[in-house]
Amino acid sequence: MRSGLALLAWIGVGVALIALPHGLSFSQQEILVFLTINVLLVASYRMLTLTGEWSLGHVVIMGVGAYASALYSKHFGVFVPAAMLLGAMTAALIAMGLSYPLFRMKGFYFLIGSFAAGEIIRLLWKRFREPFGGVKGITGIPPVPDVNLGIWDFVFFDPISYYYFVLAVVSFCLWLMWRIERSPVGLTFHAVHWQDKLAEAAGVNARAYRTLAFVIASGFAGLAGALQAHYIGAVNPTSFDIEQMVFVLTWAIVGGTATFYGPILGCIVLTVLNEIVLRGLGFEQTRPLIYGLLLILSVLFLPKGLESLVGRVLPRRATSRTRAIIGAEEKA
Amino acid sequence: MTIPLLEVDRLTMRFGGLTAVDGLSFAVGHGMIHGLIGPNGAGKTTTFNLISGFYRPSSGEIRLRGEKLSGLRMHEVARRGVVRTFQHSTLFAELSVLENALIGTHIRFRPNIFAAIAGWDAEDRRGARARAEEALDFFGLLTLADVRAGDLAHGHQRALGMAVALAADPDVILLDEPFTGMNPEETGRMMTLMRKLRDSGVTILLVEHDMQAIMGLCDRITCMSFGKLLAEGDPGEIRGNPAVIEAYLGGSRDVA
Amino acid sequence: MIDLIAQTGLNALYAAAYLSLVAVGLVLIFGVMGIVNFAHGELFMLGAYVVVALYAGGQVPYLAVVAIGLAFVGVVGLLMEWTMFRPLRDNPLGGLVASIGFLMILQALVSMGFGVRMAHVPPFTQDVIAFSDRVRLPVQRLIVIGAAVVLLGALWLFLKRTRFGWALRASAQDREAAALQGISINQTARIAMFIGAALAGVAGALTAPLISVNPHMGHSVIVAAFIVIIVGGVGSLEGAVIAAVAYAFIHTIVTTFWDGVIADIVGLSLMLLVLIVKPTGLFGTADRA
Repeated sequence: MRSGLALLAWIGVGVALIALPHGLSFSQQEILVFLTINVLLVASYRMLTLTGEWSLGHVVIMGVGAYASALYSKHFGVFVPAAMLLGAMTAALIAMGLSYPLFRMKGFYFLIGSFAAGEIIRLLWKRFREPFGGVKGITGIPPVPDVNLGIWDFVFFDPISYYYFVLAVVSFCLWLMWRIERSPVGLTFHAVHWQDKLAEAAGVNARAYRTLAFVIASGFAGLAGALQAHYIGAVNPTSFDIEQMVFVLTWAIVGGTATFYGPILGCIVLTVLNEIVLRGLGFEQTRPLIYGLLLILSVLFLPKGLESLVGRVLPRRATSRTRAIIGAEEKA
Repeated sequence: MTIPLLEVDRLTMRFGGLTAVDGLSFAVGHGMIHGLIGPNGAGKTTTFNLISGFYRPSSGEIRLRGEKLSGLRMHEVARRGVVRTFQHSTLFAELSVLENALIGTHIRFRPNIFAAIAGWDAEDRRGARARAEEALDFFGLLTLADVRAGDLAHGHQRALGMAVALAADPDVILLDEPFTGMNPEETGRMMTLMRKLRDSGVTILLVEHDMQAIMGLCDRITCMSFGKLLAEGDPGEIRGNPAVIEAYLGGSRDVA
Repeated sequence: MIDLIAQTGLNALYAAAYLSLVAVGLVLIFGVMGIVNFAHGELFMLGAYVVVALYAGGQVPYLAVVAIGLAFVGVVGLLMEWTMFRPLRDNPLGGLVASIGFLMILQALVSMGFGVRMAHVPPFTQDVIAFSDRVRLPVQRLIVIGAAVVLLGALWLFLKRTRFGWALRASAQDREAAALQGISINQTARIAMFIGAALAGVAGALTAPLISVNPHMGHSVIVAAFIVIIVGGVGSLEGAVIAAVAYAFIHTIVTTFWDGVIADIVGLSLMLLVLIVKPTGLFGTADRA
């Protein structure tokens, strides 16, 4: 009965998401594409924070995926969707390498260490014109090849087509992340976060689980980067600088990171606020100002994020996670 | 003579210039409640942390059934069958009681991320749940399975700490000052649980400062002082040992 | 060759001077309040813009502008303490995040007020001390070096000789114990924040005629300052000064013989190396006791 209702609700959401771009202007459709990619980015950021460490290098890891996918497709002629996957894997691999030094650090030191590692990668892009294109970056990145599926002619230059593509990819990734979190693996992530020593006493290799969360999150971030690179057709070091990282941080903190949907909510609300409301009022230049203010205000007055407001409205299903982890949840 | 279950062999731990544990040797037999006691600063907690893999010894060895345990990291020690608890009420406070116990089943039901995504691990999830519930039931916590661990009463939190350890199916459970901050009634209940645990086949090594508290509980006692072995024997022998009495009197003079 | 080395040394000394001022303030704030102030580079930037606003017009004498920069940025520091760091005292991550928010606000306000492009600051003096044909020290740089020595010396005397300085050092060592001794945490936090911010501000004001002044100039300064405080050992003022000098020399030499980006990479790698060799957890939950 309840699962039937849930199914209906999901179908409703799906239809709404598919219909959404048709009610928007061209520039709003483009914003929608980036918003969808950013949802993947911020959701992957939350996966990273699940084990308790906050990184300042996540956007650079996204950039690794973007640069790698761009290079594979442009220089080696790899089929674009395959290049995207390879880009994501490259980001995951780089993250794996970084995890050895970084997970020797904790808290503030991890934050600074991840920032330093990210900056080094970004400066390497800037410094080496071969193959990274230096300050100007890489341009002329091939787009996703057009396909005709009969019901819809996908011309990926067009934001609506690309939005559908991105929507499908991002939905699948979110489903994967959701499955991971609602599994014994996800429970172990939480355990490592709250009491890593106790988890180790129970036989959990805390370092391995931190690395696992970091690598998975980085893979998804890399994919987000690849999706962005092949839409814009260009990447450069500035698009992955600390300011972009602060935006991601703001989405996550304003939304709250205790729930799966918190950071996504933060990303959507702030993007809508910025692009629709501020742009509508002609204030779009004030984006950093507003983000800075919101960051401070939410740390001060809404430390648990927007999700805590939702939590007050919706009845809490405290045991649903446990039920999922032990496999007792009825199949929908 | 058979090999004892857990052996500590000439164990030494130095922190800078300080030797916290100095050539300590003792053995824990199978199916015992073994007490490690000594006045404050005797090196009990350091020994405990060495056995559980929290520290690496400067020299000496720890062996389980003759196999070297020292030098392994904490989770590796746990996987060999030696699981520790923590002082006070160290728990996953934000998780439910059942989820706490589920973490305890990690060793037997090691999660696999691909199986988890595809949903092929239903059997493992059920198995883990059964084991977790069994451990909770053992300590009378099953009715509280859905409660947030941080909201439990103090005594229940201690019991949950042991249930998490038990869920791992250990050969040896290490208990770090399990009676600290407990009233006599809670202490009595905790002792009953420990005897029940021993009778189910789990060996217990516990560290305790208060000698009197565990006299009636332990099968065997090792007493340390200034990092060295002072005396070993059954509770009667330890109680009558002049060196032990003096160490405690000397120690208590410092404390008081 | 000797000329080149001597000139590089002078350049490094100048870089070390303003970098120490910034880093020492950062360490002071961290020590006393336990908060990593990410907006510290923007306080430096604000100091430079005080010069843009008051001196570029030509009405106010340079030294007066520097003094105003010191006081103004110090007051901004007090504002930060009052609005963000005090309410977030027991939440170091929150304080850090809030300071990132403040950083963005300062950048945005300055961009709106002065534009995002480089601001022009007329030189205070064109005089140059020439040691030889190729070894020259502009007097403006000498002023920065001199001011840094005087200010850091004054800070040292303040910390060692005055009651406030004693209170500051006590709370940097152990805040709770200091509070038990009757030291007001609010007061020490205010003093630390004012001094820390003022040092960044005065560094910005002093160097404004010498570097490119723009709303994003704080970024490279804060990165350098982080490298310095990590390498110097977080919480040590002397360590920060020594590391600032060392870093300035390495950075200047690498910049001279290779290029600036490589120098940045070297600096960051150095910091990463220190973190790998000596990683310590501040917010870590279960540390070895």
